[in-house]
Amino acid sequence: MKWLALAGLALAALALAVVLGPAHVPLTELFTSPIVRDLRVPRALLAFLVGGALATAGASLQALVRNPLADPYLLGLSGGAGLGAVAAIALHAVGPWALPLAAFAGALGAMGLVYRLGLVGGAELDPRVLILAGVAVGAFAAAVTTALVSLSDASELRNAFLWLWGGLSGASWDTVRVMAIYAPLPLAVLYGAARSLDLLALGDEPARHLGADVARVKRRVYVAASLLTAAAVAVSGVIGFVGLIVPHVMRTLWGHRHRTLLPASFLGGGALLALADTLARTAVAPRELPVGIVTALVGVPVFTLLLRRWTTA
Amino acid sequence: MDDGLILSLAAATFRYPGAARDAVTDVSLDVRDGECVALLGPNGSGKTTLLRLALGLVRPGHGAATILGRAAVEWSRRELARLVGVVPQREETSFPMRVRDAVLLGRYARLSPWSGERPADRAAVDRALAQCDATDLADRWLTTLSGGEFQRVRLARALAQEPRALVLDEPTASLDLRHEMALFERVRALVDRERLAAVVITHQVNLAARFADRVLLLADGHAVGQGTPTQVLTRETIERVFRWPVAIEPFDGRPQMIPLRQPLS
Amino acid sequence: MALCARAQTLSHLRSVGGGIFALRPAAHSTHLAGLLLALAACGTGARPPASHGPITLEDDAGRTVALAAPARRIVSLAPSFTEILFALGAGDRVVGRTTWCDYPAAALTVPSVGDGLNPNVEAVAARHPDLVVLYRSALDETAAAQLARLGIPSLVLRQDHLADVARAARVLGRALGDSIRGDSLAAAIDTFLAAPPPRATVRLAFVVWDNPPIVIGAGSYLDELARLAGGSNVFHDLASASAEVSLETLAARDPDAIVVLTDSTAAPGFAARREWLTVGAVRERRFVYLVGSLFGRPNPRMRTAAAEFRRRLEAAR
Repeated sequence: MKWLALAGLALAALALAVVLGPAHVPLTELFTSPIVRDLRVPRALLAFLVGGALATAGASLQALVRNPLADPYLLGLSGGAGLGAVAAIALHAVGPWALPLAAFAGALGAMGLVYRLGLVGGAELDPRVLILAGVAVGAFAAAVTTALVSLSDASELRNAFLWLWGGLSGASWDTVRVMAIYAPLPLAVLYGAARSLDLLALGDEPARHLGADVARVKRRVYVAASLLTAAAVAVSGVIGFVGLIVPHVMRTLWGHRHRTLLPASFLGGGALLALADTLARTAVAPRELPVGIVTALVGVPVFTLLLRRWTTA
Repeated sequence: MDDGLILSLAAATFRYPGAARDAVTDVSLDVRDGECVALLGPNGSGKTTLLRLALGLVRPGHGAATILGRAAVEWSRRELARLVGVVPQREETSFPMRVRDAVLLGRYARLSPWSGERPADRAAVDRALAQCDATDLADRWLTTLSGGEFQRVRLARALAQEPRALVLDEPTASLDLRHEMALFERVRALVDRERLAAVVITHQVNLAARFADRVLLLADGHAVGQGTPTQVLTRETIERVFRWPVAIEPFDGRPQMIPLRQPLS
Repeated sequence: MALCARAQTLSHLRSVGGGIFALRPAAHSTHLAGLLLALAACGTGARPPASHGPITLEDDAGRTVALAAPARRIVSLAPSFTEILFALGAGDRVVGRTTWCDYPAAALTVPSVGDGLNPNVEAVAARHPDLVVLYRSALDETAAAQLARLGIPSLVLRQDHLADVARAARVLGRALGDSIRGDSLAAAIDTFLAAPPPRATVRLAFVVWDNPPIVIGAGSYLDELARLAGGSNVFHDLASASAEVSLETLAARDPDAIVVLTDSTAAPGFAARREWLTVGAVRERRFVYLVGSLFGRPNPRMRTAAAEFRRRLEAAR
């Protein structure tokens, strides 16, 4: 029943994203209009894929660092992606994929650095060290980025920030294809680690006693979740709250079982971002809101409620 | 080859990296099917380290730790979880979980990552819950359980592993008399009826004496005594290890310890 | 931090009117020389000010600014102020400029004090100015207050629309003690702006950034410049200087031409992006390139700018 409702919500979100938009497209032309075919449909699909990827990555990372308030960007990825994008502009990299690729590379760089720092204590990723390393690397990357922007004369650099928080306006069938080919592998790795994630929540040693190869599970989950998040940043910039709120809501509905939590988060995240993007495109048309603002406007109140429930429970 | 022998330490020694002295020195221990072994000793005497050695979580510096005749560190965690169920001293509860789901975690080592739970798994969970008198708790959230209920659920999770040996690390540390006794009786019953091997770390000298077949008393990483409770738990030994005057009275064929008053002068 | 960066970007877009582009000054100097010379007819800059006594001015922040004497050391914190000051023959009195002040070429010999917005007050004060001219924004008004505490008078002036150039010319003329030249430049601009514009024949959109798409609205001088050049901005209904819009809206409004402010005439990066091909003008490569400082800011050369813009619009049709 809950699944049916969630699937219905996801389909409705996709349908709304295709039917609604700032330009008037009569229903009879829905299947022939190039605006629908080349802009709305790929954008709705991309929103869904990105939202799903972020929520799945968020749910996995929360179990990995044993902190329900973790977010996919916690581990320095947005800082790295921002630095990559700014560096691409500063180096005059051209071409339609220059910015996404540079942001992706930056995110991967941050991921590698945080990972290496996370291993400082030994052969195993320590969640506390991981979080600290993520915050430190993120702050450092942000500082370098800001320094580049404020010291450089090229004013386009400021636009790297616009791009980084820009949302889904770069959606096209190309980006949908890239995401659709890229995302399944890390998603599958996370789903395969679902039961291990259940165990990780108990702590490393209890998880080991129950049969989990803790060090390997952590490495896999960290890499897969980071790869997903990096790809999401590359195609749509930093979109907050989806990866934090959705796993939370799904956990209250389904409990802490990742075999259901992960797919539910994917559907819920996809639906939320598709709806938020529809709102971003239509609420103040012909202008457009950055979708991250919409997810924050929706997310912060929900988050506050959850936090209250969580702390009073 | 000793068929009933499950866990075995032979003159095992271990020192944590950077530590000044050994945590465990030259300790031997055999645990067989159908027997209950109690590990006793003051805080910091090496009890938990001994278990980590026996379960292959750390590698002995000298001596050997074997499980079913094979070096303990060579066992994969998955293989071992099908043989030994552990109730650790502590675990984290940052995420909400229902009792049935928590017990189902015990089936981890018997499930492939891709397949769903089979009827056999559900049956094992039901059986484990029943064995621990926790069937009624199945739909509760873990966070709503009392201390005694929580320990029952954790024992059920270990039983859902369908292990040949149980390892319990201070399982009754925060329980009242009734729950403490019930837990020991439950472990004893599992040993007697299911022929499980059980290793229990505890501070309760008297309960160890009454429930265990054998006792290993540790002090500063050394085995001070090993054998039946009557052999090991003498007044001299206990006073030396715990550094407190006691009296020993037999009860029901087992030694029972009574700590003496030693008023501050 | 994100929102702050965004606000900064948008205000920056506004300040230089979409001229968020590194401009190459030398390339554009030749065809502008005429107008400049005409305006600065007898301008060698060595001529003494027409008046000497104290001057009282009112700026666009509603402040009354008192000068003890005509300004002789001026720091200009927007490229258009620099252009106006040079046009008024007071180039030799400009002792500080922004990194963007690249016109006229002589301005480049003036020391730069930074990028103008949210100025470094210490760097400005180090030029020992007796007047600082700032673009009107919240950050600049804070800077004006800080300068006031240092005893340095400053003028905060709007520079968003073409008429603001005339207003600034009048105020700056008086500050220089040369209201005759200030008023005459202002009058020339007023006359030009009051003349009926040519019939609008080209529907156009200014695209200043592609991801997210940002276009120019009625709040920018570029919207006016388009009208003066015989074009009409399809986003004239947006009151702000610039705004983020959906690509879908751009496709639906289907402009005849896409105007890009740039430093080259290479096709913009988004022309290669597939989703942009839903916009007819992008698909058919109907781009109009506005190159250089002539278009990058409201300035006294607007007549030339409008004529040049018109020529390019007609060429694109």
